[in-house]
Amino acid sequence: MADNNVLLRVENLVKHFPIMRGIFQKQVGAVRAVDDISFEVKRGETLGLVGESGCGKSTTGRTVLQLFRATSGSVYYDNVDLTKLKGEELRKMRRKMQMIFQDPYASLNPRMTVGEIIREPLLVHNVATEADANDRVKQLLELVRLNPSFTTRYPHEFSGGQRQRIGIARALALQPSFVVCDEPISALDVSIQAQVVNLLEELQDKFGLTYLFIAHDLSMVRHISDRVAVMYLGVVVELTTREELFKNPLHPYTQALLSAVPIPDPVKEATRKRTILVGDVPSPANPPSGCRFRTRCPIAESICAEQRPEFREVKPGHFVACFFAERFMK
Amino acid sequence: MAEPLLEVQGLETTFKTPDGIVHAVNGVSFQLQEGETLGVVGESGCGKSVTMLSILGLIPSPPGKIVTGSANFFGRDLLKMSVDEIREIRGAQISMVFQDPMTSLNPVLTVGRQLTEPLRLHLGMTKQQAEDRAAELLEMVGIPKAKDRLSDFPHQFSGGMRQRVMIAMALSCSPQLLIADEPTTALDVTIQAQLTDLIKRLRNELGMAIIWITHDLGVVAGLAQRVIVMYGGYIIEEAPVNELFANPLHPYTVGLIGSLPRLDESGQRQLISIEGVPPLLFEKPKHCPFAPRCKWVMEHCWNENPPLELVAPEHRVACWAWPEVKKERPR
Repeated sequence: MADNNVLLRVENLVKHFPIMRGIFQKQVGAVRAVDDISFEVKRGETLGLVGESGCGKSTTGRTVLQLFRATSGSVYYDNVDLTKLKGEELRKMRRKMQMIFQDPYASLNPRMTVGEIIREPLLVHNVATEADANDRVKQLLELVRLNPSFTTRYPHEFSGGQRQRIGIARALALQPSFVVCDEPISALDVSIQAQVVNLLEELQDKFGLTYLFIAHDLSMVRHISDRVAVMYLGVVVELTTREELFKNPLHPYTQALLSAVPIPDPVKEATRKRTILVGDVPSPANPPSGCRFRTRCPIAESICAEQRPEFREVKPGHFVACFFAERFMK
Repeated sequence: MAEPLLEVQGLETTFKTPDGIVHAVNGVSFQLQEGETLGVVGESGCGKSVTMLSILGLIPSPPGKIVTGSANFFGRDLLKMSVDEIREIRGAQISMVFQDPMTSLNPVLTVGRQLTEPLRLHLGMTKQQAEDRAAELLEMVGIPKAKDRLSDFPHQFSGGMRQRVMIAMALSCSPQLLIADEPTTALDVTIQAQLTDLIKRLRNELGMAIIWITHDLGVVAGLAQRVIVMYGGYIIEEAPVNELFANPLHPYTVGLIGSLPRLDESGQRQLISIEGVPPLLFEKPKHCPFAPRCKWVMEHCWNENPPLELVAPEHRVACWAWPEVKKERPR
């Protein structure tokens, strides 16, 4: 199993958040945010993780980084199981893994200057002296195409796109090899999104970064990812290369998701056939039995309620969790 | 051409803020025909929402102020109406659906109460009539067990369901014009598809005109017949939807279309990014508002703000350099 190309291997990862009630805070249930998922991220690739709100994609990202501790399952980074690490050992590993957050307004401390924000990881991890750190901050600002003289300014003086660049500079300060991008562009205006995505791609080429790119925007995921995993209600329902996923989606949920995305072309939109899903996503505190998607699935049968479909490789590199995946194979 | 349903002329709206006067809308003129769907596209702060709020008399004043302009609806100027007069039109002949369905519903009143209010107020229905009609409306927008749900509160509905309730409420008095301000932006794509589908169906059944405000060009492509693109408080381009996507002439529109990754093309193309940031609007620029970010900028652009001019049938653009843009834009 020790494939050298694999940087991150997630095995049977589970994250449940307990629901407490009453004055004794007795546990009465659990939100099954992530419920037994497995996937790998190869060195230097971008794995896109898509799904609708509440599907567990952000929880997955945070559990991978050990910002949430897993309920069960393992996360191997370079063949080291992060879920078993504690204290100083974990802190050392954390240098190699960083995160870029969704909200550039909430993820930067308003009372710290840009210089302090970017310098903080360097000082916390004792990798630079104060003087070296200042030089490094200037380099980092240049790297994300901000003026190096901005170090004494505060976050509120910047626009959303610029703040996101500050967040990127902070994430890169420790020269990580793995970055979780948690919806890094969804809070930005359309014309600014392209700027940030182009920057992320450029940095990846330059430093050989590996990305876990979490997003709900399928068109953007298609643009940036090498492989894509689709999540629904705490489970990964399909995982394959970008080309394959968009050409031959095998899970009914992926198919519906793809057909729901509007295409900015009125001629195509006029002739497009859409699969419109009925109803809403069920609550992750009380998910349907068997296949999670069966309550909204256009092709569900009785077996879907009885058994959970196995996440299986139906053709090389193409994983699907559906009993009827073969029906859609060419 | 027939008399337009709505004709806005030279609308200017400003806001007084501690940092200075913000020129949010700077002379916007457009028309809307009966039964037509008009898409209004632009990024945050481009003035698209403020334009519509101004027309409906919903700008808080102060700090907001409608400096000049007119908005003729059935030959009457909405901007000159008294508070009582416009209240009769709002919700009855023109209604609005907002972006955030949680904050635009009253959390302490049942959905039934909120749905029956306009029916009793504008149409003078009795309580029983209004309740029957409210149940019908909920059914029309696809809410299961509509009658039972009238006594539920907004928090008992999901985001998509709440937006359906908002649409039911907006359509309750059979308006001639529905203004939808980013109604699907806060929702997931599968729910967004449900709602745009619903709106299309209702439009065909009820025949109302729609102004659909959004930043999402994809949604506009599937829904609108004509599109207005706004930037920095100005309309910078206006065209029928097919023409706009096939033949964008303003550098900003070209950039917007190019900056979108598309699901129907393989992803290797580098996205075209528009460098720089949108303007702050603290003063009305003497130059073209897009000049600081424009690839085609010429000296003239800094001396005079280009007017919105007809350059092809039904295609208006505000750019001095549009012939060059047409020649050089990436395809």
